[in-house]
Amino acid sequence: MSSRWSEGFRTALTLRLGLWYAGLFAVSAAVLLTFTYLLLGRALAAQDREVLESMLERYSFAYQRSGLSGLRSLVDADESEGRHERLLVRVTNDKAEIVYFAQPPGWTGFDLAALDERAAREPWIEIDNPIDSSSLEVGTRRLPHGLIVQIGRSSRVRDEVLTRFRDRAVEVGVIVAVIAIAGGAFVGYVALSPVRALQATTHAILETGRFDARVATRGTRDPFDRLGGSINTMLARIERLVRGMREALDNVAHDLRTPLTRLRNVAESTLQEQDPAALRDGLARALEEADRVSATLTALMDISEAETGTLRLTPETVHVAAVVDEALSLHADEAEDRGIAIASRIDPALTIVADRTRLRQVIANLIENAVKYSDAGGRVDLEAAAVPGEPSVTITVRDTGAGIAATDLPFVWDRLYRGDSSRSARGLGLGLSLVKAIVEAHGGRVGVTSAPGRGSAFTVTLPTRGHGPGPGPRP
Amino acid sequence: MRILVVEDDHSIATFIAGGLRQEGFAVDVAEDGVSGLELARAGPYDAAVVDVMLPRLDGLSLVTALRHAGIPTPVLFLSARHTVDDRVKGLQTGGDDYLAKPFAFAELLARLQAITRRGQRAVEATTLTVADLRLDRLTRKVDRGGTPIELRPREFALLECLMRQPGRVMSKAMIVSHVWDYSFDTGTNAVDVLVHRLRDKIDKSFSPKLLHTVRGIGYVLKVE
Repeated sequence: MSSRWSEGFRTALTLRLGLWYAGLFAVSAAVLLTFTYLLLGRALAAQDREVLESMLERYSFAYQRSGLSGLRSLVDADESEGRHERLLVRVTNDKAEIVYFAQPPGWTGFDLAALDERAAREPWIEIDNPIDSSSLEVGTRRLPHGLIVQIGRSSRVRDEVLTRFRDRAVEVGVIVAVIAIAGGAFVGYVALSPVRALQATTHAILETGRFDARVATRGTRDPFDRLGGSINTMLARIERLVRGMREALDNVAHDLRTPLTRLRNVAESTLQEQDPAALRDGLARALEEADRVSATLTALMDISEAETGTLRLTPETVHVAAVVDEALSLHADEAEDRGIAIASRIDPALTIVADRTRLRQVIANLIENAVKYSDAGGRVDLEAAAVPGEPSVTITVRDTGAGIAATDLPFVWDRLYRGDSSRSARGLGLGLSLVKAIVEAHGGRVGVTSAPGRGSAFTVTLPTRGHGPGPGPRP
Repeated sequence: MRILVVEDDHSIATFIAGGLRQEGFAVDVAEDGVSGLELARAGPYDAAVVDVMLPRLDGLSLVTALRHAGIPTPVLFLSARHTVDDRVKGLQTGGDDYLAKPFAFAELLARLQAITRRGQRAVEATTLTVADLRLDRLTRKVDRGGTPIELRPREFALLECLMRQPGRVMSKAMIVSHVWDYSFDTGTNAVDVLVHRLRDKIDKSFSPKLLHTVRGIGYVLKVE
């Protein structure tokens, strides 16, 4: 199911975002700790060397000032003060005999032979301890008369500090990891909460099939907020289309049921007939009813398409007077037969941009309506004029017929609506609905005024320059 | 004349084929696009009636393939869809005419005859005659048994439409498109009104009656 898919997608996205955050956080923490560790190691090493350096300095100074005895007394004083506890001190004379040697207890494993060999060449040497991987750093100072002072310090103390630091670092690392994961989860959760809101809304729509749900927007104008706004706009549009289609379907079902019932009744009663002439008549009536069903369907589809904006219009510049004359010709005979005068007084130069066929249909429907509700001696007048201060043209179809009661007036554009007085009149009852739908699809508007007993005036106002680029749903 | 009917709805196919055979046509029926194309390629047909929505190969593709193969058989499209777009598409594909369902057989027949004649509409008689009714297309004069009859332009157009094929039923839609140049069903009673007026002039004071109503279908001009 799509909801499960989106669920997985969402979880994966939250996880990815959280992991990214946690990863970055952990990596930067690790870099920081490593850097600190290296700096600390270096600082400790420098400090150790400084200590050795200053000791060497003191001893060579003492020797230079007071000779071997002075050196000896300083060394002894230092030893008694415990300064040598952590140091290796070795003094040799010119015959390479050890004059003084002190080494903290427990210092084992160092190859002290190196003190003679390598120290002869380098002032600083490091002797590795193969047992515990510590090292002994030894500084060598040559004094006059072949005396050599060597002071060494084990890296063990330093290593211990660093080991402790590493242990702490691991603890800190665990804490960092916990913070990183928690932070990642939080960031993933917070950053994706608008997406979750979107998902919840779309999910609700998928589950319930209702399009009235909307994404909550906070008006922050950030990308998520804008996305929510766009989705809401889209939903509103879809909702309008779906509602339109649903209504259209309801109307089709409703409006077709009546003629279908008649068709069925005709067929059923014809089936009872024996007389060939009556059979023929019944079949003919059935055929007429079938045609009526078909015509109703066509009209309903046209209305629905016009209302939902899917009716294809081919706008072109048309002369209003010419189109009105074409529409008039369709009903001129009937009007004449019934003693109704039809006249059109329209400036031949007046043009608008509209779909010619549909405009003709609109006007023909209005004329048909006017003729239908007029009596002998009546008049139907067609006029058209530019609307002052507006790029529109209003076409008026005025009759002197029965008129429409004020209570009926608001409903004349509704489907299948006929005032009480006109129930017997023939027709599909869709003509005015179609007029309204087509005119509005052109971006125009319809109007009607009426005085019962004196007649009605139907108006159609259409923009002279047409309606935007091509058809499409309008908000 | 040999006609190919490609229509997947068996009942409609039978209806069309039966009607055409009654009119003296030889008819072959295919019930899907692929076999329709095979038939159309195999034999020369004078015209084809092709449904737009067909199984295996739709009507538009069928006609496209036919035209690619260089077969110029005139095609009348049938479709349940009635929008202008579909018409245009059908005609662009290489169809010659387009008829929306539901249709009257009379109309199908008339359109079929129109497209088969289209190539060779050479000379049409300038004077049409049915019984003692005469219509001169050049002088636009009409008389019955020598008695001149004054007709208004629309009445003349209607009579001409009926007299071109006497005995052939003309549907209201065909009359509307001929007389008023409307391309779709207007749903009005304008045709009935016009026929009534014409009947007054050509039949009222004459015998036998020539203009007959075929209920549910249309009108026909003939001697009964």
